[in-house]
Amino acid sequence: MAILNREVKKKSGDLYLSDKPPLTTAGKVGLGFTYFILIVFAFIVLWPIYQIVVNSFNGAQARNIILGGGFSFSLRHFEHLFQETNYLHWVKNTIFIGIATAIITVLIVSFTGYAFSRFRFKGKKFSLLLIMLIQVIPTFAGITAYFTLHQIIVGVVPFFSRQMLLVMIYAGGGIASNTFILKGYMDSISPELDEAAHIDGSTNMQTYRLIIMPLVRPMLAIIALWSFIIPFLDYMLPSILLNRNQDYTLATGLFTLISDQRTMNQPAFAAGGMLTALPIVTFFMLLQNQLVSGLSAGSVKG
Amino acid sequence: MKVSMINLGKKYEGRENFTIRDINLEIEDRAFCVILGPSGCGKSTLLRMVAGLNSITEGELYFGDRLVNKVEPKDRDIAMVFQSYALYPHMTVYDNIAFSLKMRKERKQVIHHRVLEAAKVLQLEEYLYSKPSDISGGQRQRVALGRAMVRKPQVFLMDEPLSNLDAKLREQMRIELVRLHKRLETTSIYVTHDQAEAMTMADRIVLLDQGNIQQNGTPSDLYNRPANLFVAKFIGSPTINVFRGTIQTGQFVSDSGQVRIRLNDRDQEATRNHDGKAVYVGIRSERFLPETSLRDGEDAITATIDVIENLGKEQSLVVKLPDNTELVMTMPGHLHFGVDEAHAFGIDPHALHLFDGETEVRLN
Ligand SMILES: Nc1ncnc2c1ncn2[C@@H]1O[C@H](COP(=O)(O)OP(=O)(O)O)[C@@H](O)[C@H]1O
Ligand SMILES: [Mg+2]
Repeated sequence: MAILNREVKKKSGDLYLSDKPPLTTAGKVGLGFTYFILIVFAFIVLWPIYQIVVNSFNGAQARNIILGGGFSFSLRHFEHLFQETNYLHWVKNTIFIGIATAIITVLIVSFTGYAFSRFRFKGKKFSLLLIMLIQVIPTFAGITAYFTLHQIIVGVVPFFSRQMLLVMIYAGGGIASNTFILKGYMDSISPELDEAAHIDGSTNMQTYRLIIMPLVRPMLAIIALWSFIIPFLDYMLPSILLNRNQDYTLATGLFTLISDQRTMNQPAFAAGGMLTALPIVTFFMLLQNQLVSGLSAGSVKG
Repeated sequence: MKVSMINLGKKYEGRENFTIRDINLEIEDRAFCVILGPSGCGKSTLLRMVAGLNSITEGELYFGDRLVNKVEPKDRDIAMVFQSYALYPHMTVYDNIAFSLKMRKERKQVIHHRVLEAAKVLQLEEYLYSKPSDISGGQRQRVALGRAMVRKPQVFLMDEPLSNLDAKLREQMRIELVRLHKRLETTSIYVTHDQAEAMTMADRIVLLDQGNIQQNGTPSDLYNRPANLFVAKFIGSPTINVFRGTIQTGQFVSDSGQVRIRLNDRDQEATRNHDGKAVYVGIRSERFLPETSLRDGEDAITATIDVIENLGKEQSLVVKLPDNTELVMTMPGHLHFGVDEAHAFGIDPHALHLFDGETEVRLN
């Protein structure tokens, strides 16, 4: 008996515990190949980022970045960015546009998503499809219309700036697809929850605010994040619509550092690009708690 | 509160036909009314019309003397328990139960008091601060009940509330639901497809099929005097045995000629106009008599035993007649039967349900 026990114990050291079948030789080769591809891709992604970080701190770089030169740690490119350019304005503008876009998008999409998910009305099927189709036309094609639109609005509301126009374009552009996504998410929440709330005495608004919105919060957070990022990524529209250097967003502002001979400073461009990640990461962290999903579990049987 | 329906009908948008129509029903104050029927017959539709979740296409719905056709659900003074419970997943048990009172701007102390009271009745005190996802199915069911009862509604609606529970828990909750109904002193309308649930819980059963009321009566009415063949087949387990045949001078003769039953005086009277015409005869499994208690001259059928299901106190015999008709009989558990044995069984002549061969309406 004792001998048997010992044997069992000895074996359990190298027991095969994985639920997957053991790898064959071909499988091992395949796995090695997969790792190789992943490493190559990681390199392709990480190398430029590495260059940006290194060069923005490299005091040995002059106005044009030269690869393969020496390295001496310095913050002078950052100093240039903050003192010689409108960098802080650009950051402020971009964050303003981003937050305004996010707020407006979330507000509008909340209503449209709820309506499309819960109410029956004439033309429900077609209206969304139509908006989606129209959005296939690039935003850029409407550029002359935007100028006219801006002029009309300024006639009525004098403080309506070009930046606000940009917010309107960004928010408007995202409505159809975001509505579609939010509607899909809401459809997965049982309408019996709404009905229970109605019987319990809540109005449509209260039902949305107290029952549905808390449940779709992860999706709203993602939509907010996407909307917030738009002005960080878009170069085209702000470069056309905004015409004063201090009104620029980060993308257009930083571009002046590599496009214009008079203001050329590539290491400062790298430094500014690197700092751009900060507001996005901050915003992401603020929303992180909201992104926790799985709240719907447990409402329906078990 | 008394609930009355007059010619109530519902047609869904985009459907060709009415889902339910010509529903005339009076549910007395404080009654426990069960709406019973096979899946898809429109039970939920009817209940949701009472709740105000579905619009009323035609007819009138009264709560007491008040016409409520166009009254919002929240103004009907009702509570509803859904099949899926529909608990608010992001709220604690306490907040779930308190929600309706909060919506009605009840005072904080009143809310607290009522929630604790409901929790006590439903044995939920320990779980008040858990989320619905962290409690068992039976407890969720109780939370759903608690949510419905805190407001002390006039009409209590339940749509298959027990169908997600396991058998044992279901039996237990049946009793608790009836107790709760008595305690709340409300009118309860309960929807189910399970005839056993209906039989055990109801004061009144309304049996629906094909969008019409087939019969409306007490459980004993439906069991002992089913209004038509559908009711007879739907109520009772095992299902009633049915023979098709004709009436020939005071005697029922099945189509194959294998079964001959002499009708008693009352049944002869009832089928006087049906001589030579097709009828159905229904007989419940427990109304067959064992061989030993047969008296001379009584009708008997001889059948071969196919399957025996022994439940201890009684046993169900699935037997076959020589013409291959299958019958189910319930015999006392102490009698001895063996598979493939042939036995003679008597038929209690006072236990026959006679139905017209075409309209399937009850004759006797
Ligand atoms: N919202 C709806 N739109 C169209 N038809 C419906 C709708 N709800 C139910 N029905 C139809 O009405 C019939 C009855 O449904 P229901 O009342 O849910 O039956 P039950 O609860 O008795 O199983 C079914 O045929 C179903 O397909
Ligand atoms: Mg149903």
